[in-house]
Amino acid sequence: MTKLYDRFERTVGGMKFAVIIILIFAAMMTVGTFLESYYGTEFANRTLYKKWPFILVQFAMFLSIFLAAFIRMPPKKRLYGFYTIHSGLIMLGCGSFITWYSGVDGQVILRPNDPTRRVYLDEDLLTLTYPNQGKTVEKIMPSSAFETQIDETYEEITLGRYYPYSERVLNWIPPRLEHPNPERAVDLHSAQYMLFNDRVSEEMILTLHPEADTFKSNVTMGPLSVHFLPAGLGKCFDLDNPSKLILWDARKSSCFTPEERGIEMQKGESGNDFFVVQEKDGENYSFFPDYSPYPLSRDFNSVQRDSHLRLFNRKLFQKDPHLFLFGEALSYYDEDEDVWVVKSLNKTSLAELPWMGLQVRLLQYEKNLIPKKTPQYTLPIQKNNEMIRGRERALELVVKNKSFWVTNQQPISLMIDGVKVEARLSKKTIFLPFEFVLERFNMDTDPGTRNPASYESFVKLFTPEGVEKHHVFMNNPLKHKGFTFYQASYSQNPETGTYNSTLSANVDQGRPLKYLGSIFLVFGAAWHYQITRRKKRLKPDHSILKGLDSEKDSKDQRKQT
Amino acid sequence: MKLSLVILLALFSSLSFGQGPLSEAEPPYFCTAEMGKVPIQRGGRVKPLYVHARDVMKHLGGETSYEGYGPVVSYCLLSVESLGLQNPIKLSAPVEHVELKTFLGLSPDKNSMTYAQVKSQAQMIQAELRLQGQEQTSYQKSLSTLLSRLNLYMEIQAGQNWVIPAMNAKEVSWPFLTDFLQESRVRSAVEEYPKNPMFGSMMMETQRYLEVFGPKVKVEYYFAKARLPVIAMLVCFMALAALTLFKHFKIAMGLTLATVLIQTVYIVLRIYISGRAPITNMYETVLFSGYGALLLSMVIGHFKKEKTFLYMGLGYNVLTLLMINFAHGMLNPTISPLVPVLRDNFWLSTHVTMVIMSYGAYALSWILANTLLIKKKFSTVSKKDETYYCDLMYTCLKVGSVLLAGGVLLGGVWADYSWGRFWGWDPKETWSLIALCLYVAIQHGRYTSWIPNRIFVPFTAAAFMSIMMAWFGVNYILASGLHSYGFSQGGAVFLGSFFLIQTGLIAFTMTSFKRPSQSNP
Repeated sequence: MTKLYDRFERTVGGMKFAVIIILIFAAMMTVGTFLESYYGTEFANRTLYKKWPFILVQFAMFLSIFLAAFIRMPPKKRLYGFYTIHSGLIMLGCGSFITWYSGVDGQVILRPNDPTRRVYLDEDLLTLTYPNQGKTVEKIMPSSAFETQIDETYEEITLGRYYPYSERVLNWIPPRLEHPNPERAVDLHSAQYMLFNDRVSEEMILTLHPEADTFKSNVTMGPLSVHFLPAGLGKCFDLDNPSKLILWDARKSSCFTPEERGIEMQKGESGNDFFVVQEKDGENYSFFPDYSPYPLSRDFNSVQRDSHLRLFNRKLFQKDPHLFLFGEALSYYDEDEDVWVVKSLNKTSLAELPWMGLQVRLLQYEKNLIPKKTPQYTLPIQKNNEMIRGRERALELVVKNKSFWVTNQQPISLMIDGVKVEARLSKKTIFLPFEFVLERFNMDTDPGTRNPASYESFVKLFTPEGVEKHHVFMNNPLKHKGFTFYQASYSQNPETGTYNSTLSANVDQGRPLKYLGSIFLVFGAAWHYQITRRKKRLKPDHSILKGLDSEKDSKDQRKQT
Repeated sequence: MKLSLVILLALFSSLSFGQGPLSEAEPPYFCTAEMGKVPIQRGGRVKPLYVHARDVMKHLGGETSYEGYGPVVSYCLLSVESLGLQNPIKLSAPVEHVELKTFLGLSPDKNSMTYAQVKSQAQMIQAELRLQGQEQTSYQKSLSTLLSRLNLYMEIQAGQNWVIPAMNAKEVSWPFLTDFLQESRVRSAVEEYPKNPMFGSMMMETQRYLEVFGPKVKVEYYFAKARLPVIAMLVCFMALAALTLFKHFKIAMGLTLATVLIQTVYIVLRIYISGRAPITNMYETVLFSGYGALLLSMVIGHFKKEKTFLYMGLGYNVLTLLMINFAHGMLNPTISPLVPVLRDNFWLSTHVTMVIMSYGAYALSWILANTLLIKKKFSTVSKKDETYYCDLMYTCLKVGSVLLAGGVLLGGVWADYSWGRFWGWDPKETWSLIALCLYVAIQHGRYTSWIPNRIFVPFTAAAFMSIMMAWFGVNYILASGLHSYGFSQGGAVFLGSFFLIQTGLIAFTMTSFKRPSQSNP
């Protein structure tokens, strides 16, 4: 046994092992820097730097450094420098281990005059909240760089696939709920169009289905407004009735004009135009075409937004560019001819619009499917310190064989058998034993430019001992109760224009050891070479070299003397 | 506004030259090269117009003089278009990217396009850029560079680039050229500068500016004009020639001292102008590493009583000076303000200086290793000599490793102090550690004679590639990470060729380093 141990000691403490392990370490780091350059800092951490093979190599190096010094005991004067170097390295290793084991590395985001204790850590956390039962469940997400199947169940919810990096991908899927009135389901159609001219092109997905929550029925493109409407309404848009009014009957999925039904325009007491539609059920619906697309209630006091009747006053859409899309048809007002034009659309043809040379193309038309963007795993891409692909973390929640996605950008709320559950994916947080307030954030710029020259935070600390004021800026951190706070970055609130300050918060018990180790290492190295240099000083000067010319020179000189 | 200026101009040009109305005033109007002394506040600092005009004109058209006019006059002529004057210079934007040429409808043999033409296609270029999405291809970069050039060109043309100091007691404001040339100001300069009162008004304000803010701008003007790097390069080259070709050590030593002196003056002036350690971008680090390596080689050579070190130091310094003078596409000599995190002179000067000096020390070993490789291939080197020279290289490695270890650890301490972590696997950090590991592995191997000389030499030559990777590669190839402030463009090709040539050289000379037929000691 001792023999075996001796052999182990000789091998691991030996120079060949040291050289090999250093080379393996260097090779792994090389791979790491390339991973980082393609896929980002976090990806490299999650696949290499913070994974066991790399940590194992570091441990092997540590062992090699330790044993190399150990087998050269008892101390020899010649090796004093060598011992110092190796003890410096051992201290560095121990210090790093302490940091890794018990250090805290997080971020504090300070909004102006908004006290906070919260420190955001690196780990991702799923929180399930049952607001009515006052219950919260938490689960840390794996620190993986790839798709991971979690397969854990809590009550009705099973955690399925977890994507640390994902992008939304468009899918056309059947709706979850069936329409209460199947005949009318056709009005809830969806379509994808491309609008383009020589300079710009934009794809748009429009839908009337309430389940397709990420898409809308209206979009604007600069001055142009696009409206997506039921297919049946398209028929009436080119009717040349004098009032230019169209009514939509959602019960029948059809449209009609007031003129068709012989409805006449009336003048109200205050001089406003109005008309009344009498339906077969005997109800009367009064419309004020210049004011509202919805009918007024019987007592003229409120607008009936849920009515099956809706009015379109085309005159209101003649001034600015408006494009109406009805699935496989479109309509717009042609100013030159003073007519409303309706054109049919299909996947193989283009329709020209009267503005800026724009053309429309129908890419997809679905009556029974709805567009939904679901997360899909992707390898991340980082450019200029910013993630440009795979920014969203996504977790699949499976409830009764249906899957829902919660992401770090979009929390969801579910009703499971009448119980409300809110799910959110966020960074794990811890709370400081004292409170922070950002009093003022200051950013100086280089004269005549907008480049930041310095940024600084004036903060107040509320501690049990009282209030302390501090000034934190680049290269001037704040130390308090074992925490160190650094001015890390800042962000601007897009709505208010005020600046938020980001401080990195840090606890590192390994720091003194790392500093001491550094000093040992550097001075040890200098000392070592000093000792070994003396030994070689007596080496005679060579004068043989025909080639290296300075040598020749010295030879010539010697000849002369 | 413009009209009144034209009248003003006409008035004074007729007054000064007695030539009658403006239409007869000839270019370069009131523009003179002397204007280079006038301060300008651009890019976050105040500098002489000469420096700004030189950088801007070089950026716009790739040249510093056009139609026989120097940079200041060309810049001035472009600016006076805002006064409604004719500009005789037709500037062309460099267009080198093949895809960009196709897009612009340029024939493949043409490498530039006039700004008038670029301007007419501006909207299309913008649309094309938008179509490229977020992925940063070289084509996208060329599109956005062209657009930024055009914007700068138009800014100058509109008189919105040239600002001139206007003193009010001890306060300075920076009006644009069109706002600066007020009648009262120009009139007051007539007496002192009867020939060119426009220029005179600028010089009078400059005088007042220098009185209040000190002579820094003036110093920078002469600094920029002196072109010390070129002189240093020539002297250093002569020193190397004296040492290797004419084998006259004393002359070589004298020229070496002259080189060091010139470089010291250059670096000290740069420190005075920028107010910081001269090691904040690629240009400065390359310059400093050559300078530092030469100093190191002189010190080591002196103590070791060995002249070969001087050869290594001169050889490396000449190479860096060549880069400094000719690789402006990759190494930008412009002095610009620092990003906030670097504004700490203590850490900047200790950490970066130590790392750069270590690069210099390793570079000495690299020069000698390659020399030995070539010598062994084409001539013979005795076993004893080989060992001797390997010992010299080993000395360089020792110095380099102590400096690099110190530099990396100091960097860790600085990072801990300003970012809150000692080590974060940032590419720059990691690559410095990789380089250190490789050199340490070689040193360990040689210390125990596990690595014989025949392998030690090519290994030492090859290991310098890891330094180049840490130094240039992280910026030009990996281009990510927190250390991104030192980044500039166009170095990937340089680095690729370096790796190729170095690997090729080692492969080519490999045969001469084969294991001898008899058993190796």
